[in-house]
Amino acid sequence: MKKIFVFTVFMVTYTTICAQDKFFTKNGKVHFDATVPASPEKIEAVNYTVTCVIDIKTGNIQFSILMKGFQFERALMEEHFNENYVESSKYPKAEFKGLVNNISAVNFNKDGTYQVKVKGILKMHGETKEIETEGKLIIKAGKITATANFPVQFSDYKISIPKIVSDKVAKVARVEIECLLDPLK
Amino acid sequence: MPDCYHKKMDRQQYAKQLNRFKIMNRKTVKISFVSVIVIIAGVVYFTMSEYRRKHKDIADIPESFSLNSNEIINSFSTNEKSAYKMYLDKVMSVRGTVKSIYRDVGGACTIVLGNDTSMSSVRCSLDSNHTDGIALIKPGADISIKGICTGYNADELLGSDVVLNRCAIKN
Repeated sequence: MKKIFVFTVFMVTYTTICAQDKFFTKNGKVHFDATVPASPEKIEAVNYTVTCVIDIKTGNIQFSILMKGFQFERALMEEHFNENYVESSKYPKAEFKGLVNNISAVNFNKDGTYQVKVKGILKMHGETKEIETEGKLIIKAGKITATANFPVQFSDYKISIPKIVSDKVAKVARVEIECLLDPLK
Repeated sequence: MPDCYHKKMDRQQYAKQLNRFKIMNRKTVKISFVSVIVIIAGVVYFTMSEYRRKHKDIADIPESFSLNSNEIINSFSTNEKSAYKMYLDKVMSVRGTVKSIYRDVGGACTIVLGNDTSMSSVRCSLDSNHTDGIALIKPGADISIKGICTGYNADELLGSDVVLNRCAIKN
């Protein structure tokens, strides 16, 4: 009886630790800002339904973003974004697959803020481009908050801004990511 | 051109004709001027109202589909491409059992519809104007949610999801 009990406890603990390899969320937040400096017209949108998974052993990190999930304050801007710029009916999803280079430097058992470097491929509007950025992994109470801030140039993804509004929309958007990741059980 | 231009007339007749022409011209100019102002005002008004237009509340938009969560999940999992064509960007009401409720520190709420037999679900992100009443919703409840379909995330590891945005609880 005792052996079975010890064995069960061992198995439960072992599997729990193993399952802690992956952390994820389906409610990640991505915000982008394409406002032209000194322009009174704010061009920004937020997406609250981003999926993110990170493997803390390998450093592999993935994001999946449904383009129609970006919310703009003005309906007309959102329509232009979807219909003319990113053509979300044709390319409904943007995906990022990358690697946290210095994952071993992060101690997931110790609360704290860790600076990381992420490198990977962003696929959007049918185009792919390599992205390299700095980011932060904030470990607290068994959860990970992943944040990053990086530029995305529209032309890299063949997203064309019509000449009429070219002075109102920035050529490079500022993208902010914030995801609170829970352990995958 | 006034008649005086074409015919031979005496001075008085000529002066009368010219005067009539000038008055007619003034009237035409006035009418044209006012019409142009009105047209410009109309165009400006239309442009500004389009520019300032906010999103319609989901409750005010008629739904294109009414289905249960299993139906829409199966639709996407069997043929993602055709399901996208049919459902992407459409307003729909989805009925199902509440699997879980997610609340963000910022106030964003998501109701997950599904059941224990499958990892797949329908994730309904509530419109910020429709988050009241969420406290009354408990897992296991049978509810109907109206929202706009933003797509499908196929995932073997995490479970596939159909995602709805700008949602409001229907009943």
